[in-house]
Formats: sequence, structure tokens, C-alpha cells
Amino acid sequence: MSGPGPTATLWSHRGSLPLAHLVPTGLGPWGDGMARLVLQPLDLLLLVALVLLAVQSGRPWLDRLALVLPLSWLVGGLGGLVVGMELPMALPCAALVTAVGVLVTLGPALRLGERFLFGGTAVLPFLFGLVAGSSLAGHGGALPALLGEAVAIAVVTALLLMALDPPHPRWLALGLRVVGSWIAASGLLMLGWLSRQPL
Amino acid sequence: MGQCWGPSPWAVRRRLSLLPAALVATVLTPAAAWAHADLHPGGGFVAGFLHPISGLDHVVAMVAVGLWGAVLGPPALWLLPLAFPPVMALGGLLALLGMPLPGVEVGIALSGLVMGVMVLFELRPPLWLAALIVATFAVFHGHAHGAELPADAHPLLYSLAFVIATGLLHLVGILLGEARRWPGGRLLVRLAGAGVALVGLWFLERALQ
Repeated sequence: MSGPGPTATLWSHRGSLPLAHLVPTGLGPWGDGMARLVLQPLDLLLLVALVLLAVQSGRPWLDRLALVLPLSWLVGGLGGLVVGMELPMALPCAALVTAVGVLVTLGPALRLGERFLFGGTAVLPFLFGLVAGSSLAGHGGALPALLGEAVAIAVVTALLLMALDPPHPRWLALGLRVVGSWIAASGLLMLGWLSRQPL
Repeated sequence: MGQCWGPSPWAVRRRLSLLPAALVATVLTPAAAWAHADLHPGGGFVAGFLHPISGLDHVVAMVAVGLWGAVLGPPALWLLPLAFPPVMALGGLLALLGMPLPGVEVGIALSGLVMGVMVLFELRPPLWLAALIVATFAVFHGHAHGAELPADAHPLLYSLAFVIATGLLHLVGILLGEARRWPGGRLLVRLAGAGVALVGLWFLERALQ
């Protein structure tokens, strides 16, 4: 018997469920891609968590983030389109979002290293873009949809960075940590949901 | 004298002029945008948001977390609402993994009763103990939410929405608790604690039946 084994099949089936594809909005593939950021908000959660993590640390490279984050996601997405088959990465992606949410919740007391932070804000969007690109690969208009979502990511990142420019008043610093705890909680529930799905 | 208390003719005319515009906007709204509303019949963001606020036992307990935080003051004021959602999600994770938790309904009812009493008598245990109490109850609430999470819901939108709703209920409690700064506010907060305790007691009686 040829083909992938049962474990691989189950794993890939499980992985594809929550990162599902495009919802037609009637606005064309470009608009569908933009809407995907909100309708399949795992990428949105990651991006918010990464921006919060970065602004909490108040690093001097913060202004570069507006370029690095969407670009890294887009490069990953293009790679995903080239891969052409959906990558079964839902569980690891949910776990990563949870982990970044926990880091935001714990706050600046963690004193994360410069390389770790900058590497995270470059590598994680690449990975998520790769997964998104691979899930879009089968769709007609995948490239404009990917570009649409990348633009939406760039806009949201820029707006967040503008609004959350450090230093923060105490209430806002606490608010950022609360949002981090919400992201972590949502990620945990997502992990549980993924493990519950009938295969 | 002879004053007319109804809406002025100008206001009526303005309202009437808005009506056709609203009708045109409704008719022209692209149906395609709503065509996929049933992709997740178990619920998306709205269903998730409504879930925690549709049960009185959950609502009073979430508000009580904020109220008690306000009574305890900083750092508990922000630490309790900060810790609650992830611990609640851990409880939800247990339920989703199929791990049973005995006495969930009793635990939820007790959470209202205990935290209501804490607010009513303005009890201030050490921070670690307050956090432990709140975290324990959070597991019960999370377990109930996790067990009720519809299988066909959009997992992330639903989870995110109900975590946000829970956080906003905490915020309501904190804002109510901040009334303690004003004259008579302290009594108001203690009365709110008494109300929470009574609701908790009522649910406890029902859970033990």
C-alpha cells in the first residue's frame, strides 16, 4: 500500500481545520485576503502579540518592525504558495501564539535578549506566512489574496506601533499585559479545541 | 406657554430624510458578504462573546473578581484579572481534552458565594492566597466553558470572544469597585458583594439538589 501512513494523514487533516482558506467576501481575492486576517485571526493574534512584546521592551529597532514583520510574513507566504500543499501546522502555530501571549503577560520583567526578540519578530511571521501561503495555494487568486493579507498586516502593524509608542503610562502597560493574557488564553483554548476535533 | 414637547419639525424632517437613505443602503448591501454566515453554525465571535454573559452564575463571579481586586487594591487589582483568563483557559483545556472535573457546578456556585463574602466583609488575605482562591475558581469556570464549546464553532473567534467578554466583566467589577473612592461608594460595593454572595448561595442550593 502506497501513500502516506495513517498517522501522517490524521495529522495533516487535523492541522488543516482551523486555518481554513478564504471566505469569499464579494470583494475579490484581494479583499478576501484582507478579510482572512480577521476571519481566521491566528495571524492577527500573532502579530498583535509580537508588536506588544516589542513595544513592552522599548527597543530602538521598534520603527523597523513595521517593515520587518509584514515583509517576513509575505516572504513566508510566497514560499507557502511555492510549496503548494497545505502544511499541517495548526497545533504548533496555536502553541506559538500561546507562548508569545504568555511572554506578553509576564511583561518587561522578563528582560528578553535583543537577538531573541528581533529573531522572533522576523522568524515567527515567516513561519505563519508559510502556513497561510500553503493553505491558500489551492485557491484561484491566491497571490492577490496573499498580497491583500500582507497589506492588511502592514497596516495593522503600523497602526499598533503608532498607537503604542513607548514609554507607556502605567495603566497602558498593564493593559498590554492583560491583552497578552487574553491572547494566551485564546491560544490555550484553541489547542484544546484542536485536540478535541473528531478526525 | 403653549410649548410643544414632541420632536421639532426639523428633527422629524431629518429623520424622514434618513429613512430612504437607510433603505437604499440596506438593499444595496452585497448579499455575497453574508452568504457564508453559517460556515460555523456553532458560533463565531458573537456566540463566543455572548456565552459568558448568558449565565448569571458566571457573570456575578466574573464581576466579583474585579470587585474583590478593587477591595484588595494594587497589585491584586490588576493581578487577579490578569491571571484569571489563562487559568480559566487551562480549565477549558482540561475539559476539551476530556479530563473530568468533579463538582463543576458546585465550584462555580461557590466562587460567587466566596468572592461575594470577601467583598461584603472586605476581607484581605495575603496576595498569594487571594490569587490561589481566584485561580481555583477560574479552573471550574473554564472547565464549564470548555465542556460547552460547540464542536462546530469557529475555535479561535469563539474562544477569543469569550475571553474578551470575561475580561470585560472583570473590568465592570473593577469600575464598580472604584466607587469606593466616593462617599457612600464603599457601602455600595459591599452591597454588590452581598448580592453576588446571595446569587452564589442560590446557585449552590440548586447545584446541591
